[in-house]
Amino acid sequence: MKKLHFIYSMTLAFDNPVRQHRFTLKCVPLSSERQQILDLSTSVYPNEFLSSDRDSFGNHCIYGYAQGLYDHFSVTVTGTALTGLSSFETARQVYQLGLFRYQTDMTRPGPCIRAFHDRFSFSEETTALDRALTYMRTLYGTFHYLPQSTGIETTAEEALVLGNGVCQDYSHILLSLCRMEKIPCRYVVGMMTGEGQSHAWVEICHDGHWIALDPTNNVLPDDQHIKISAGRDCKDCTINQGLFTGQTTQTQTVHVSVTEQQDQS
Amino acid sequence: MEEMDLYRHTDTINELLARYGVKFGIYKNNEFREQLFPFDAIPRIITASEFEYLEKGLKQRVMALNAFIKDIYGDKLILRDKVVPEEFIFASSGYLAQCEGILPPKGVYTHISGIDLVQGKDRQWYILEDNLRVPSGASYPMIARNLCRRSSPLTFQQNHIEDNRNYAELLRRTMDHVNTGGHTVILTPGRYNAAYFEHSYLAEMTGAHLVTGSQLVVKNDHLYFIDYSGKLEPVGAVYRRISDEYLDPMTFNRESVIGIPHIYDIYRKGNVALLNAPGNGVADDKGIYYFVPKMIRYYLDEDPILQNAPTYLPYYKEDMSYVLEHFDHLVLKDVAEAGGYGVVFGSKMTAEEKEHFLCLLKKEPRRFIAQEVIDFLDLDIMDDDKMVPRKADLRAFVLLGDGPMVWKSGLTRFSRNPDSFIVNSSQGGGFKDTWVLSQ
Repeated sequence: MKKLHFIYSMTLAFDNPVRQHRFTLKCVPLSSERQQILDLSTSVYPNEFLSSDRDSFGNHCIYGYAQGLYDHFSVTVTGTALTGLSSFETARQVYQLGLFRYQTDMTRPGPCIRAFHDRFSFSEETTALDRALTYMRTLYGTFHYLPQSTGIETTAEEALVLGNGVCQDYSHILLSLCRMEKIPCRYVVGMMTGEGQSHAWVEICHDGHWIALDPTNNVLPDDQHIKISAGRDCKDCTINQGLFTGQTTQTQTVHVSVTEQQDQS
Repeated sequence: MEEMDLYRHTDTINELLARYGVKFGIYKNNEFREQLFPFDAIPRIITASEFEYLEKGLKQRVMALNAFIKDIYGDKLILRDKVVPEEFIFASSGYLAQCEGILPPKGVYTHISGIDLVQGKDRQWYILEDNLRVPSGASYPMIARNLCRRSSPLTFQQNHIEDNRNYAELLRRTMDHVNTGGHTVILTPGRYNAAYFEHSYLAEMTGAHLVTGSQLVVKNDHLYFIDYSGKLEPVGAVYRRISDEYLDPMTFNRESVIGIPHIYDIYRKGNVALLNAPGNGVADDKGIYYFVPKMIRYYLDEDPILQNAPTYLPYYKEDMSYVLEHFDHLVLKDVAEAGGYGVVFGSKMTAEEKEHFLCLLKKEPRRFIAQEVIDFLDLDIMDDDKMVPRKADLRAFVLLGDGPMVWKSGLTRFSRNPDSFIVNSSQGGGFKDTWVLSQ
């Protein structure tokens, strides 16, 4: 178990002010069997009107509206996470997980993913976890991490054709492969120890449990990952979605910092 | 025949329909054209006892479909019990994951259903499809009846016909039942929509405000209608005539400019009713149609009163072999298409087309259903001065408020082409009034 202090901050700067800004944010981690979130503090600017709810995947959403003119938009979430409390989250009944077993537009395999998939033949007894681990290890060995080589609209197939990408691409490819095996699996957005950007990984359902796999780092997340949201693919977990009126260029800055806290007591 | 007086007025009624703007628009080759919906004055007549039977069957069907949608977005017991294979749900474009876990006001999903039926030569009625998203068409027989009454009042004095002008009242009752507090509005994409006439007519007849997305705004977790003076009026029910994907750019299609940002979030909170509920497409897919009789048994523990047209699912091996063997006698439908598109008759294919189709069918069996070609009971229409038989169907409207209500009328559509089975208005068909006799 670890006690992690986290800061997630995101700023959108507009070179021309915008108005009538509507936004939905999914950037607040929730407590679960794996992690406990303490001292949570969230601030959003502008905050003319804010509300919150859970989406259909159980993710925490903040949504809001700002009528006036603003030259920037920002959100900061800070808190403490007790991580590594469990190695899994309990899943719903298997017949209720079908929505995580089917490909989406982001994960649908093409010739490249199919060829990758066809390189493996598992025996009947091979568990979902072992299949997923095999894919993860192989993918880690062949796919290369290259920042800024792909974009948010890059699909799993497109990324594998390119041969490199970021955490989103690793995750989509792994999801695509697992779904070809009919393994229920989901996309996870979260934070990892260190400084930088938000992170993405995968959870697969194995024996009634959601088990996390981080294909970018080829590890099973233990206590260094803080989960924020989950869905079928990155579209269900969009951290910030907005609509506004105004002719502007926007510049986004994201800063994530997760540091281990040593207990002083 | 006493109806003859009415038939003489066919041209007048069609002229009046045109004047009242009873048209629908179609996009063809990127061009928007408005087309009249030809009216034929010979009504379809349904006796009181026959309608009583249809009414019972339709209510049963809609109750089962409503229970199914609730189950699919909730506990999914029908999947646990393997009555419906899960891929017919999750691989269907009508299933929307965003609807998971949402219970709409009063648990109603299928507020307005348009159930298409045909009658066979054996007088047996068959269900052809269920339309549970935004079924249109009720306004046409409503206004046609009005004009017929005006041009031939005697016809309606001498025959005992159920008055169908109460559709607006039934619709109003349905909308009021789920209203969470505030005005009721009908949301239209605008005048270039195929069914714009209907939107404005229903708004007028029900006393609801006709609005476009830009006149609705979400504020403080509630929906408001911006009236002509700029004042905000609370809205409790939206009869939306735009499809799910355009409803809210924050949740569905991000490019939508006709939707209302965040309307879906306040719907989730129970602060507004949306008619029909988003996500209903999961239940009116042509693949799911096959399972409706099973749903009736599963959810209601009753035998289905109304029959489906005999349908085969190539997804099942034995059905596939039946389909391959009897290909020339079957009609094949692409489950993802609507409006009469994606429908092919085995007997009308050239050898080459057939080969191509079979290839596709074997590759994607889940994409198609096959049905026996029903020997329709033709209805007479006036073609110039002659009566000629044509294929026709019936769209029955079932409204679900406090309980299910079946409108004692319906939209009878017919094919003007003697060789065609396809009656859809988007493919050039016409319509008739549907008389339900009161005794």
